[in-house]
Amino acid sequence: MRSALPPSFLALVAVLALVRPAPAAAQLPGIAVERRLAGELSLRVGDTLRLGAAPDSMRGVGVVAAIYEPRPDPAQITKQDRYVRMHLPDLARLLGAPDRVDRFGVALRPGIAPDSAAARLDRSAFGYQAYPSAAIASESSQTFLVVSRFHRAIAVITIVASAVFLLCVMLLKVEERRMDAAVMRFVGVRRRTIFGALLLEAAVIAVLGSAVGTALALAAGAATNAYYRRFFHTALTFSLITPGIVGFSVALSLALGLVAGAAAAWRLVRTRPMVLWGRG
Amino acid sequence: MTPTLIARDLRKDYPMNGETVHALRGVSLRVDSGDYAAIVGPSGSGKSTLLQLLGGIDTPTAGAVELSGTRLDALSDRELTRLRLTRLGFVFQRFHLLPVLTARENVELPMAEAGVRGPERRVRARELLDYVGLAQRENHRATQLSGGEMQRVAIARALANRPAVVLADEPTGELDAATGREILDLFLRLNRDGTTLVVVTHDDRLAAEAGRVIHMLDGAIRD
Amino acid sequence: MTGAAWAVKRLARQPLRTGLSLAGIAVAAAMLLDMVMLSGGIDRSFSDLLLGRGYQMRLTPKGTLPFDTEATIRGASAIVAALRREPALEAAGAVLGTSLYARRGDSLITLFAYGLQPEAQSLYQLQAGRDLASGAGAGVLLSEPAARLLGAGIGDTLTLVGRLDPQVVTAAAGRRLVVRGMVRWLYDYRGQPSVGMVLSDLQRLSSSPAEDRASMIVVKARQDSAVPGLVTALRRRFPSVEVSSVADLVATFHERLVYFRQLSYILGSMSLIVTVLLIATLLTIAVGERLGEIATLRAIGVSRRTVVGQVLAEGTALTIVGGGLGIGLGLATARYLDAILTSFPGLPAAFSFFVPRAGALAFAALVLLLTGSLAGLYPAWLAARTPIAATLRAEAT
Ligand SMILES: Nc1ncnc2c1ncn2[C@@H]1O[C@H](COP(=O)(O)OP(=O)(O)O)[C@@H](O)[C@H]1O
Ligand SMILES: [Mg+2]
Repeated sequence: MRSALPPSFLALVAVLALVRPAPAAAQLPGIAVERRLAGELSLRVGDTLRLGAAPDSMRGVGVVAAIYEPRPDPAQITKQDRYVRMHLPDLARLLGAPDRVDRFGVALRPGIAPDSAAARLDRSAFGYQAYPSAAIASESSQTFLVVSRFHRAIAVITIVASAVFLLCVMLLKVEERRMDAAVMRFVGVRRRTIFGALLLEAAVIAVLGSAVGTALALAAGAATNAYYRRFFHTALTFSLITPGIVGFSVALSLALGLVAGAAAAWRLVRTRPMVLWGRG
Repeated sequence: MTPTLIARDLRKDYPMNGETVHALRGVSLRVDSGDYAAIVGPSGSGKSTLLQLLGGIDTPTAGAVELSGTRLDALSDRELTRLRLTRLGFVFQRFHLLPVLTARENVELPMAEAGVRGPERRVRARELLDYVGLAQRENHRATQLSGGEMQRVAIARALANRPAVVLADEPTGELDAATGREILDLFLRLNRDGTTLVVVTHDDRLAAEAGRVIHMLDGAIRD
Repeated sequence: MTGAAWAVKRLARQPLRTGLSLAGIAVAAAMLLDMVMLSGGIDRSFSDLLLGRGYQMRLTPKGTLPFDTEATIRGASAIVAALRREPALEAAGAVLGTSLYARRGDSLITLFAYGLQPEAQSLYQLQAGRDLASGAGAGVLLSEPAARLLGAGIGDTLTLVGRLDPQVVTAAAGRRLVVRGMVRWLYDYRGQPSVGMVLSDLQRLSSSPAEDRASMIVVKARQDSAVPGLVTALRRRFPSVEVSSVADLVATFHERLVYFRQLSYILGSMSLIVTVLLIATLLTIAVGERLGEIATLRAIGVSRRTVVGQVLAEGTALTIVGGGLGIGLGLATARYLDAILTSFPGLPAAFSFFVPRAGALAFAALVLLLTGSLAGLYPAWLAARTPIAATLRAEAT
C-alpha cells in the first residue's frame, strides 16, 4: 500500500537507532525517543546513540534527551514503526540533505480562508502543493471512513440475522402455548384475553432478552477494548457503546419481539381450537 | 395349549407426592396361544398398567412377565425394544398414528425398523390394509382418515411384523357404536385367523364376544 | 422411506416456522462464508498479487517494505548485475517509483512514475501498443487514468519534468518521450495516474543519475523451493538492504490487517452460534410437541437410535437447505463488502479481501454441517430419554 502523493515525515521513519554506550559528550544533539522504542532498546535519558539513515552510513551521534509517549493514533496501531524526534538541522545534517523538508506548517492571519489561501499559494507554487489542514485531515481519515462503512454493512447483516432469529424464536415460543390456548378456548376464555396473555409473555421475554443482551454487549465491549489495547499497546478505544446505540438496539429488539409475538399470537388465536388440539 | 404370555405376581407402585399408589397388587395371568382375552373393570383398577407391563413398555415393581418363554426383566433395553417390535403388536385408544405419514407408510414403519426391504414391505402393507378393509386408502395421510379408519390402520400396523400377541387398550373407546362394531368384527376375524389378543375394554359387546374375561378391581384380579 | 424424507415431510408441515428458520440459517451461513473468505482471502489475494509475474523476492531499503517510504537503494545497477550472475536466479530487475510532472502549457500535472528494466519487470501487463525496449529514451507507458488525465494516447509525445527547484522556479531535468503502450499497473490503486519508463530515464529525471537509485529490486528464482535458502544467502550478501520473500511480505501484511482476521473469527463464530441456537431451539420445541409420537414409536418397538437419527436428520436437513441458500447470499454480500473495503486509500485495485475459493467454501460448508447437526444433539437426547408409559398416559389426558 502506497500513496502517490509524496507524504510527510517519511524520512524520519527511516532513521535507525543503535545503542552504543559512549561517554556522554556535552554538545551532542539531543533526541526524544518514543517510549516503546526506549523500552525495547532499554534506553534511558542520557544514553548516547549512533544514528544514520542506513546501516552502512551510521555517521551521526545523539544523546537521549527525553522519552515521550506519542499521542494514540489509530493509523499507527498496526504498524511496527518506531519514532524518534530531533531538531530539524540535526536531522538534515544526519541525512546529508541540508535545507530540505517534507512539509511546512503555515498559520494564516485571522479572517483568511484556508481554501483560498491554499489556492493562491498553488497558483504561484513550484515544486510544492498547499493543502488546507482540513483537507489533509479528511484525506488521512479516509481509511477510517472505509472501516466504519464496512462496520455499518456488517451491522446491517447482523441486524437482519438477529431480526430473523428473534421472529423465529418468538413464533416458536408462542406456538409452545398452543395446547394451553386450545384448553383456554375450550373452557370459553375470550380470544382477546388469550392474545393479551401471549403478548404479555412475548413482551416480558423481549424485555428480559434486551437487558441480558445489553449486559452481554457491555461485557463484550469491555473485553474487546482490554484485548486490543494490550494487543496494539495503545490507549485507544475500540468498542464504544453509547447510550444511543443501547437505546437503538433495545428499541429494535423490543419492537421486533413485540411484532413477532403479536403476529404469532394472532395466528394462534385465529386457529380453531380443535386444530390447535391436534384434531380436526 | 402352549402358554404365550405369563404374568407372575405383578406389582406396580407409583410414587405420588410422598405417598405410594399401588396400581397393581399382585396379578398373575396366563394367556395361551390363540386366546382372545378381555380385561374389564372400573376406571383406575389398573388395566392399562397391567397391559403396559405385559407389553414391556413399563417395568413392574415386583413380579415377572414371560413371553414365549423369555423373561422380559432379563432383557436389556435394546433387546426389549426389539421384542416389542417383532413379537408384540400394540393398539391404542387414541390410534397414535404418525400424522405426516400415509396409511401405508404407517403400516410399513415397524417393518422398516425391523429391516424388511422396501418392495417386500410395500406388498405386505398393501395386504394388511386390504385385510382391514382400507386397500383404497393406502395413500391417504393419517389426518385425512376417520376415527374408525385410523384404528384399522393402527391394527394393520400392529400386525405388520407377525406378532405373537396383540395388546389393545380400549380400542373402541374413542369410536361411536357403529364404528366400534366394525373394529370388534375385525378383532373376531383376527382371532379366528389365529392371532392371540389381549384387549382392555369398557365395551360389554367385546367382553361378550371374547373367549375369556378377566375382571379387575383395585389392582387385582377378582374371582 | 428414509429418515431424510421423513424429516423433510415434518419440516414441510410447518412452512412458516421452517421458512423463518431457514432464513435465519441462510443469513448466518452467508456471514460464516464471508468470514471464512475474509480470513484467508486477504493473505491469498496479496500473495497472488505479489506473485503475479513470478518474482518471489524483493530487495528494499533497510527497514522498509516495498514502496512504503520514499527511501531508496543506492547503486542499484551493481546489485542487479551481481544478482543476474547468480545461476539459481532467473531474473532480477530494479524499480524506481517517484512523483513526476508533465508539462502542459504553463501548468504542471502531477503523476506517479515507475522507472524499470523492461527485460525484468514485475509491475505491469501490456494492454495495447508496444512494450518498452531496453535502453534510454525508449518511450513511456501510460495507465488508463494517466492517459485520461493527460489527454494523451499511443504515439503522442509527452514533456516530463522532474527535480523542481522552487527557489529558481525551474525544473532541473526535462525530457520528451513518445507514448508506446497502454498498461495496467498491478499495484496501482483505483484511478492512479501512473506512467512508466526505462529506469535510467527516470533516474535522470528525478535525482542525480550517478547515485543510481532504485526503490526496489525484484528477483525471480528458477525454483520456488530454493527461495528460503536464497533469501538467507542474499541477506548475508547484501546486509545493507532488506531482503524479503513473498511469504515474508505476506506475513507482515498479515500483521497489519490482523484486525480483519480477528473480526472474521469473531463474526464467524457468532454465525455458528446463531445457527446452533436456531436449530437447537426449533428442534427442542418440535420434539416437545412430538413427545407422544416419539413414545408411540418407542412403544411399537422403534429403537432409540432411530428416534435420535430422526431428530438429527431434521437438523441436518435444515442446515443443508439453509446453508445452500446461504452460499448464494454469502457470495452476493461478499461482493458488496469487498467493494467497501477495496476503496481503502492507496490499496492496489487488483486486491480483494473476500476471495471465493473452493477450499474456503468446502470448509465453511463442513463446519456448518457439523455444527448444524450437532445442534440436534440436545433435542435428540430429550427424544431418546422420553419415558414411554408415562408419556403415552399424559398424551391421553
Ligand atoms: N404415572 C402414574 N403416576 C401415578 N399414578 C399412576 C400413574 N399411572 C397410573 N397411576 C394410577 O394407577 C392406578 C391405575 O391406573 P390405570 O392402570 O390407568 O387404570 P385403568 O386403565 O384401569 O383406568 C390409578 O389409580 C392411577 O391413578
Ligand atoms: Mg386405562
